[in-house]
Amino acid sequence: MGISEAIYKRGKTAGVFPSLSSRRDEAYMNFIEDARNLLLHAQQKPIGEYSKLLLKNAGKSMEPDIRSTEEAIDLLMNDNVLKTYYRIKRTLQESFWECTYNSLNMRKNDLLEALDDAEKIGPGTVTYDPEFSIPKYATSEIHIQPGGNVNEPLSGLLYDYGSKVFMGGAADNDMFADMQASSIGTPQNGEVNRILDLGCSAGVTTSALKRIYPDAEVYGIDVSSHMVRYAHARALEQDYDINFMQMLAEDLDFDNHHFDIVVANLLFHEVPVSISKKILSETLRVLRPGGSFTLIDFPGDKTRDVYTMFFGAMDAADNNEPFLPGFVRSNVEEIMEDIGFEMSPYDPNKFILAARIGFKPNN
Amino acid sequence: MTDKKLNDLEDLENLPGFKRGNPTYFENEVIDHLISITLELGAELWVIKDRLAHVEEILSEENKLTLDALDTGKPSALLQEKLDEERKKIIKRIYGRLYSKYGGEEVEEQSAI
Repeated sequence: MGISEAIYKRGKTAGVFPSLSSRRDEAYMNFIEDARNLLLHAQQKPIGEYSKLLLKNAGKSMEPDIRSTEEAIDLLMNDNVLKTYYRIKRTLQESFWECTYNSLNMRKNDLLEALDDAEKIGPGTVTYDPEFSIPKYATSEIHIQPGGNVNEPLSGLLYDYGSKVFMGGAADNDMFADMQASSIGTPQNGEVNRILDLGCSAGVTTSALKRIYPDAEVYGIDVSSHMVRYAHARALEQDYDINFMQMLAEDLDFDNHHFDIVVANLLFHEVPVSISKKILSETLRVLRPGGSFTLIDFPGDKTRDVYTMFFGAMDAADNNEPFLPGFVRSNVEEIMEDIGFEMSPYDPNKFILAARIGFKPNN
Repeated sequence: MTDKKLNDLEDLENLPGFKRGNPTYFENEVIDHLISITLELGAELWVIKDRLAHVEEILSEENKLTLDALDTGKPSALLQEKLDEERKKIIKRIYGRLYSKYGGEEVEEQSAI
């Protein structure tokens, strides 16, 4: 069975997402995706207003500090509407992972063989080490994805299809990645020969970067061998020449001044703050003078209120995002400046997920 | 929830969300189960409606039905469009009332962004 035939046995959905193994699974997931859109995403604004009214009527502080957030959790999670919302959220998350996992797992051998075969061909390359030492912080079952990013050989496929459902159509045809990639900083003098995508997971942003800079050498690195294996197969399907490597963002195996552009899309809220600082130091090291670093992630708490901090704390606890509150409270753009980046003006309201752009100083 | 714990690489196991839990939200966890059950029943009902519509389409066009066509095939684009519309209406009609306290049953579908 060919690579494409194994991965795309029932064709593709909304771009290069592999269709699930049966029509039954597809119909089930259509229901889950619409239920998420109607009962979760569409409710965010009105349930936020409802929650803020509850907080105001109870005389609670709207400041985004830790104490106020804990008080908000106590108050809001005592309300039946909020309890219902979070019950639905958790159940739909569990249901979509269970269905996706079961659907892909029934073809596991064929899928893994296809990934093995993909390794042997290009364009592009993939390198990883079966003995790679995975840091403990990376072993969480993030997003309650079965096995997390590192402990399930099908994690790349799971994450890719999962993100399609999670985003409720916004990730279809890689639209969201293209939108995010369009926000990255252009290096000073405009020259772009090498690009690095940190924490590339399924390689969706990496491919979007290749679309913008087709002549550049593009690299995607991730802690998970399973992710980079799938990222390579996904890029192969689109005929992109990209190099995927298993590597820690806090310990980059690249020379000083090697890259014109470095990007980290939704990586930083998935690592502890102490690791973030190491990643930023490494990023500065591998950037050439005038090179740009774009960090796309959630806005910091200085631009938030207690409700958004409550929302993040609930996501951290119940959707396995253990490092999200620490990241939000770190106000990473200030750390970037401290480490030595020359920062572009930062507007957390300009983009759906805030893009912090820093440049390596020329001297 | 303290800054010390949030930044401590040595105490990862105690960070909220590091390990997969099994949260319940109501004092009586039977209510949690009942909400999960209604969602699961809704999803399974939709699977059957989807399959029936697919069966009807195949029979009306080919007068021959195979399990393979049902299990691995896909409905026509026209039927898929109708199914997509019907599914959204069903979800909104059945579950929207859960948010009637603040008027959430009236909202229009929205993606994550």
